[in-house]
Amino acid sequence: MASTSRTAQPRVAVAKLASCDGCQLTLLDLEDELLEIVSRFDIVEFPEATSRRSPGPYDIVFVEGSISAPEHIDQIKELRKQARVLVTIGACATAGGIQALRNWADHDAYRAAVYAHPEWIESLSTATPVAEHVKVDAELRGCPIDPGQLIELLTAVLIGRRPQIRDEAVCRECKRKGIVCVVVAKGEACMGPVTTSGCDALCPTYDRGCYGCFGPRTNANAKSWSAGLLQSGRPPEEVRRLFAGFTGYAEPFRSVITELGKAKG
Amino acid sequence: MITTPVPSQTAAAKQWFLARTDLGALIDRLRESGRRVIGPIVRDGAIVYDEIQSAAELPAGWRDEQSAGRYRLERKSDERVFGYTVGPTSWKRFTFPPNLTIATAHRTGGFGFEQPAPDAPPLAFLGVRACEIAALAVQDRVFLGGQFTDEDFRARRAAAFIVAVQCTTSSSTCFCTSMGTGPEVRDGYDILLTEIDDGFVIQAGSLEGAAIVAKLPTCRPSHAEAGAAVDKVKSVRTQMGGPLPMAGVGGRLKLQLDHPRWALVADRCVECGNCTMSCPTCFCTSVVERSDLDGKSSTTERQWDSCFDVAFAKVAGGDFRARPRDRYRQWLTHKFSTWWDQFGSSGCVGCGRCITWCPVRIDVREELAAIAPPVEPIIQPVAVEPAAASPGSYSIARLASVRSETEDTTTLTLTDLDPAFLAGRPGQFVMVALPAFPAVPISISRYRANGIDLTIRAVGPTSTALVNLRPGAKVGLRGPLGTFWPIQEAYGRHAVVVAGGVGLSPLHGLVDALVANHDRFESASLFYGARTPEDQLFCEDLEAWSSGKAIDVTLTVDRAGPGWKGRVGVVTTLFDMISWDCTKVTAFVVGPERMMHASVQGLISKGVPADRIYVSMERHMECGIGLCGHCQMGSRFVCKDGPVFRLSELGDLFSREGI
Repeated sequence: MASTSRTAQPRVAVAKLASCDGCQLTLLDLEDELLEIVSRFDIVEFPEATSRRSPGPYDIVFVEGSISAPEHIDQIKELRKQARVLVTIGACATAGGIQALRNWADHDAYRAAVYAHPEWIESLSTATPVAEHVKVDAELRGCPIDPGQLIELLTAVLIGRRPQIRDEAVCRECKRKGIVCVVVAKGEACMGPVTTSGCDALCPTYDRGCYGCFGPRTNANAKSWSAGLLQSGRPPEEVRRLFAGFTGYAEPFRSVITELGKAKG
Repeated sequence: MITTPVPSQTAAAKQWFLARTDLGALIDRLRESGRRVIGPIVRDGAIVYDEIQSAAELPAGWRDEQSAGRYRLERKSDERVFGYTVGPTSWKRFTFPPNLTIATAHRTGGFGFEQPAPDAPPLAFLGVRACEIAALAVQDRVFLGGQFTDEDFRARRAAAFIVAVQCTTSSSTCFCTSMGTGPEVRDGYDILLTEIDDGFVIQAGSLEGAAIVAKLPTCRPSHAEAGAAVDKVKSVRTQMGGPLPMAGVGGRLKLQLDHPRWALVADRCVECGNCTMSCPTCFCTSVVERSDLDGKSSTTERQWDSCFDVAFAKVAGGDFRARPRDRYRQWLTHKFSTWWDQFGSSGCVGCGRCITWCPVRIDVREELAAIAPPVEPIIQPVAVEPAAASPGSYSIARLASVRSETEDTTTLTLTDLDPAFLAGRPGQFVMVALPAFPAVPISISRYRANGIDLTIRAVGPTSTALVNLRPGAKVGLRGPLGTFWPIQEAYGRHAVVVAGGVGLSPLHGLVDALVANHDRFESASLFYGARTPEDQLFCEDLEAWSSGKAIDVTLTVDRAGPGWKGRVGVVTTLFDMISWDCTKVTAFVVGPERMMHASVQGLISKGVPADRIYVSMERHMECGIGLCGHCQMGSRFVCKDGPVFRLSELGDLFSREGI
């Protein structure tokens, strides 16, 4: 990295909360673009990639992970202070992630069941998306995020325009790709109609239903879709589990899960 | 595209027979002509269109079964390669690609935009159905019919060679017969195939097509083979059943922009956009910019978009179609209504893809029927030719049963009737006589499967004699006579029946008809007033109507007796309960003339149009057929011009004293 051009380049930090690091790896996995990226962005803080640390302020902060432990609240507030632009990346940061399933469970009971010394474990009873705690400027969905959308965000930042990230059903990507609908032709359970696109219909391309990891799109009619899944003969518990995936804590999936949970209870 | 249609009567328009085992020759000749062949193949549980190299890839023996939200394939034992209907792919994928780079821009050495030249590979489409040819023609009008054209589409369309196939079966989702696009392929092809038992009847539709056909190992079809081809196509039309009432649907939709169904269907719709993506005519797109990281170049990619997209109608200040119902309405009204205004045809070709591929099973046919149902022409039924019309002749009926309604009113059920009586209509009457007793006009109060009811108040010699008859007695009848209730006038409206006292008798049959056809009316109501509870007719029927959901029954009496818990007051006091739009009321009123007068005034003051009020008049009648002169009312005889009149027909004679 040439130090001469650094001052003109956006200072970037990549941080994590409760998460698996997969979204950060998506950035590291951009092997063809990485040199171009580091020549245009000054990635000054990225513990996943380097032990070299740099304090803020930063132009862009990418945050992975959900707020699941008390210290995450302080961490995210500090990051927000240091960030000109805060971008949440991945299902954990944008929707609470798979760990948000605890929000319907008895946190203390689980902690006691799993850990020999539950009193040593400091965690919150809920896992929540970053946007519930601080203002978020942009988000990249998915578990993990899509490299194409990440590049689009980075190039948009360089150009100074809004990233062109579509807010449409996964079905659109299936149709444009010519993927035969797994719901209609095979009776598969699929979250595509209510899930936002961005993955290039990855799961249906491999002949399985969408898991909803990009989360609900704007206006997702989750109520009708859950009714449709029930009508096709699936037990309520199966439909609940389908919604209760990586982004189940995001509305309107959250309401469907709660509603179907009540029916079960 | 058909650049050079074959003039009919030329050699090329002739039919040939191609054995199924020689179908590969057609594919080979097309490929040799420099074209890539796109045809049907089985992939991922469906028959899709993709590039094929040989006939072995065609879906021999495969059948599709389709219904709303469901598509399944099944392998049969035969070798028919075109035995399916239409699958998820439409040909627009090849003439109007889902993703297309329409421009590139650069900032190196200045600043500029470049438009790539259309790159249209010569393709041969194998297996194009009638509805699909119609769909290509629809997109021709959209993309090439106006001032500005889509040159990429033009190039791809011109480079496409069409091998059409006659449908020999249909799916439950098919409705080409309703849209006038099929099932028969009539034009728009280079080559046309009709699949019969062991091969194809083949004909050329263009000189290019004829040139290919000439190179195939064909022979002239036998008489049986040519006949089989015709029969196969005919049988599809029969299989599909009668067409839907699509005539005028565009105009009807325009009148239904506020229909409550839009919100109901939007509650079901998940806005996945699969209908629009699967539709072979939908043409909406958006552009996506893709920039290089170096900031020096970018490409503009056009993508299939959908009017169901949340951002589709957004501007900086907000969203013009913010609600799902707005977006559903946009889709349906464009397809079936405004498309006509813009492009001179329907936007729908009846292929049924939007029905099959809707994951929540919305069927546009059902939505259209609910939102813009066909306006049934109001056919005024014609009265049946009466039995024994002349004043001296009577048809003999048998008295089956006698029931007392009130102290002075009795219902007789007559059977063993001339069929003419059973074919009468509510509101008509009969002349009833006994030997030595003069004939009297009596309304038919009810039509039964094998008989009619006459409800008679014993006031004169004949009526007294009639109510004293025993079952089994014989009665002389003439009729049915007179006009009847025009029930069709109330279709789609609020039907209101107002009865006073024995006036319920000529209305009983009308109420039966309203109940039997209740879904044709916006609502149906009966307001019935009697002097006392003991004077109410048809108590059991009133009970049954009240407990059913088909008609709202409200009763009132002028004077309550002990035990009466209902309303008290004249029948017009009930009109205060009317909450609906009275301009949409059709009313039927019978009772004493003073009661009818008050009722009509009450209804008109509520806003019911005078030409939507019908009354039944009572007058002295000797003959019942307009010859005796007794029942004259102004320029009309009540017996043959009535007894049922539209109020406006009577003008100011209605309820005038001394007429």
